[in-house]
Amino acid sequence: MIALSLLEKIKPFGSLNPETLKALSAQAFERTFRSGQTLVIEGDPAHYGYFILSGEVRVLRMSREGRVQILARFGPGSPLNIISLISSEGTNRASIEALTQVKTLVLDKASFTKFLATFPDFSILLLQIFAERITHLTNLAASLSLYTVRARLAQFLIELADSPQSSGGWTQDEIAAQIGTVRDVVGRLLREFEAENMIVRDRQKIRLLNRQALLEEAEQEDT
Amino acid sequence: MDQNITPIINYDMCTQCGQCVELCPENSLELTDMGPAFKIPITCTYCALCEDICPEGAIRAPFLIVWGENH
Repeated sequence: MIALSLLEKIKPFGSLNPETLKALSAQAFERTFRSGQTLVIEGDPAHYGYFILSGEVRVLRMSREGRVQILARFGPGSPLNIISLISSEGTNRASIEALTQVKTLVLDKASFTKFLATFPDFSILLLQIFAERITHLTNLAASLSLYTVRARLAQFLIELADSPQSSGGWTQDEIAAQIGTVRDVVGRLLREFEAENMIVRDRQKIRLLNRQALLEEAEQEDT
Repeated sequence: MDQNITPIINYDMCTQCGQCVELCPENSLELTDMGPAFKIPITCTYCALCEDICPEGAIRAPFLIVWGENH
């Protein structure tokens, strides 16, 4: 059981009916993961779905060569492992690791399935969240075909610098996953940007030096 | 202090293969009973090569993206 007042603080749950929130409060439980702890292991049977209450996680898969590939990162309000719960394969599609201390709301598979069938506002909420993710992927697919990887990186750096950032920061792998490339390319491009005096690396900080140049770079289309 | 910030090592994921220790161009890492550790943090230049070489994804070198002065 989880306190109703806690659920009401989760942004996406604001659209849920009081009855749905009450049922969620009764069925779900809270679980906290420490930084670095694994929430879900790829390939294991999918037993639980999660909503992040606080903290950040990264989603990753093992490549054929045995190396870790970062797929995405999520923060408060995001559902996790839901597709694994409802897919016919019944196994976790990726591993999920806590980047910071993460508090989650947890639903087991049976409860989750029952919620989908019983509370249409819950189903609609999930559809809206997945629609946003599909939109992100569609936009990424479009930008992959329209803009150079240099442009996508420049745009991403500007967006990050312009907005409040998570306390955890972004690794080169995570940046690569976000803009649709690989880590080695991100590393090379950062060195190029630094050689061109657009950025400077100051230990764990990447300082953007020339907004105008980066904006122009962000508009370079892939011909 | 910024000078002492180093990449983050997840010892639960580390298999103590030692590749990061061998690769570090500044010789900043040493292998301890717990796993690799930064001997003298200030010698780390945060090049993130240790993160790149780790086959287990046990090392994270996150960057904060900020505007410089007079950008």
